[in-house]
Amino acid sequence: MTTVLAAEDLTKSFGDLIAVNGVSFEIAEGETFGLLGPNGAGKTTSISMVAGLLEPDDGTIHVAGTPIKTNSTDGRSDIGLVPQEIAIYPDLTGAENLRFFGRLYDLPGEKLDKRVEEVLEVIGLAERQDDLVSEFSGGMQRRLNIGIGLLHRPKLLILDEPTVGVDPQSRNAILESVEDLSGEGIAVLYTTHYMEEAERLCDRVAIIDEGVIKAEGTRRELVSLVGERDRIRVNVTGDLVEVARVASELPAVHEASPADSGVEVLANDASSLLPELLSRVSATGATVTGVAVSEPNLEAVFLHLTGKALRD
Amino acid sequence: MGAATQIAGKDLKLRVRDRSFFIMGIITPLALAYIFHLVFGNTFTAESLELEVGLVDLDGSEVSQSLGEVLSALEADGTLALSEFDDVAAAEAALEEDGGAFIVLDAGLGEAAVQGRPFTIPVVGDVDSPTSTEIASSIASGFGSAIERTQLSIVTTVGLGETPSPEEVAAWGEEAALRPPAFAFTDVSADTRQLDANTFFAAGMAVFFLFFTVQFGVVGILEEKQSGTLARLLAAPISHTSVVAGKAILSFSLGLISMTVLIVATGLLMDAEWGPPLGVALLVIAGVLAATSIMGVIAATATSADGAANLGAIIAVILGMLGGTFFPIGQGNDFLARLSYLTPHAWFMRGLSDISGGAEWTEALPAVGALLLFTLVFGTVAWVLLQRKLTR
Repeated sequence: MTTVLAAEDLTKSFGDLIAVNGVSFEIAEGETFGLLGPNGAGKTTSISMVAGLLEPDDGTIHVAGTPIKTNSTDGRSDIGLVPQEIAIYPDLTGAENLRFFGRLYDLPGEKLDKRVEEVLEVIGLAERQDDLVSEFSGGMQRRLNIGIGLLHRPKLLILDEPTVGVDPQSRNAILESVEDLSGEGIAVLYTTHYMEEAERLCDRVAIIDEGVIKAEGTRRELVSLVGERDRIRVNVTGDLVEVARVASELPAVHEASPADSGVEVLANDASSLLPELLSRVSATGATVTGVAVSEPNLEAVFLHLTGKALRD
Repeated sequence: MGAATQIAGKDLKLRVRDRSFFIMGIITPLALAYIFHLVFGNTFTAESLELEVGLVDLDGSEVSQSLGEVLSALEADGTLALSEFDDVAAAEAALEEDGGAFIVLDAGLGEAAVQGRPFTIPVVGDVDSPTSTEIASSIASGFGSAIERTQLSIVTTVGLGETPSPEEVAAWGEEAALRPPAFAFTDVSADTRQLDANTFFAAGMAVFFLFFTVQFGVVGILEEKQSGTLARLLAAPISHTSVVAGKAILSFSLGLISMTVLIVATGLLMDAEWGPPLGVALLVIAGVLAATSIMGVIAATATSADGAANLGAIIAVILGMLGGTFFPIGQGNDFLARLSYLTPHAWFMRGLSDISGGAEWTEALPAVGALLLFTLVFGTVAWVLLQRKLTR
């Protein structure tokens, strides 16, 4: 796949504070790439450099092959930015906001009108397009915020924590919209400190903390990188000690121990292990009353890599 | 330039919708100018200097009548309004009604003048008409001095053994009265080209609030930064120059609209006479540019929109007061007069004064030049600092 964004060795300091230190990553066409890290990790500084808002002290950025510089407008038309703040004008209508930014991207009159209509449909605001934005709910404003970033059909869409402060319903609508973008071939750079969002949306994730990328890869790669295992909870009635012993004899099982009214099993690949495990448990005479499988998540990975929780 | 006008157009729409421009740029200065017009307009206008002076001639001699002739001449050239009364009671009644002052020429004044006896000329003035009273006193004093000089002439003549006839004495008295009086009227508005009160307050309020009005443009950069929209503008394929230029265009446009509306409105409502249109237009354009430049520096140095608004208000008030927009601060004080020319306000007001009273529009050029110098200095600083601010 074609590389849309290539960021190499980005470094940025503010006085004595090194906000970003040697950050590199690439995003391909149609790929959603997540920057996962707590507040102050360097996510916003990184995307500010990618968007051409901040000049890196060191490193290079290319979008669709064009170098991005703060003092040049080259390559800007290929970038769509959705800032963390709701960056729209409350005293303009939804359509007026879209038209204003569309004109800045040199969309000509008829094409602009058509594109505005399309985007309003996509973000579900066609019915409210002539209402002042100040009359919109927070979720509607967030959707318009994203719509402006999409208006000029960018090759790279940068979303900086787009769901902060959004109600669950609007949040889900936003996440669905982002999921659709990869189908349209747009490369998405998505920053978040919500582990669930990164897991749901991102093809690849970079875990960033204190300005440094600690690890990068698919969710599975990241998990295996730190050796985290799947957790299987088997609720049974019967001899819990015997059940745990039988389970621990399976080669894929790392550890099995009685807990409350069941057994906790740590294994490498829960989905392939589960049929045999349940068969062995039943053979002991115990009755299985419930099974729950939880794969290791990015939260655990982050904790393992940084020694602190994601929301610290 | 296209992006700059797009940004300016968008901001103009926002300012119109939130009504802040109308309040600060038009309604407030117009209301204040009108209030000043109502309160002070009659005190300082040229019409109010049409002094109300009355004359009660109880003597009726040729000597006393000579003062009446002098006062009539002053009335004819528009210096004062003369009222003649038959007795003091009628004069007092008029004084009670209309204010002003009156001079009483008692019976026997002419005879006393001829005979060299002492005499008095009472002047009665209304407490609320100090100027009329002062002028009436000066006229009476001048007339009395003239008679005294005449008496001296008579004594000298008598000493030479010649006795003047009453007609001769009257002629001397009239001649004396027609000598330059002890007071002198100076047509201030013509000689020093000072604005009349209505125009002064209209222009003062217009240029004072101009500095608040233009803030809406350049300070908008800080507002956009706080709201996050600045990031969006800077991420678009437009230059930083376009963003700064867009804000400057808005400042200039708002200032121009505000001044134009105020000039027309104060002309219609307050009879303000701004002067030759070309001269006024040049002053307005130069004044708006200077105001935009100074407020641009404030926007470039402030860290927040609120901070810029507060600092801008302080600077605008100080410059406005020092520049004489509320009262002519430099009159009678050379230091303050010189200091006031450190403000664009003073140059703007001076420019208007220079083209008032029927002067040519070219008389405004020195003030226009000074205002453009402010623009050059502060505009350059603002332009550089604002561009730098956008890359931080």
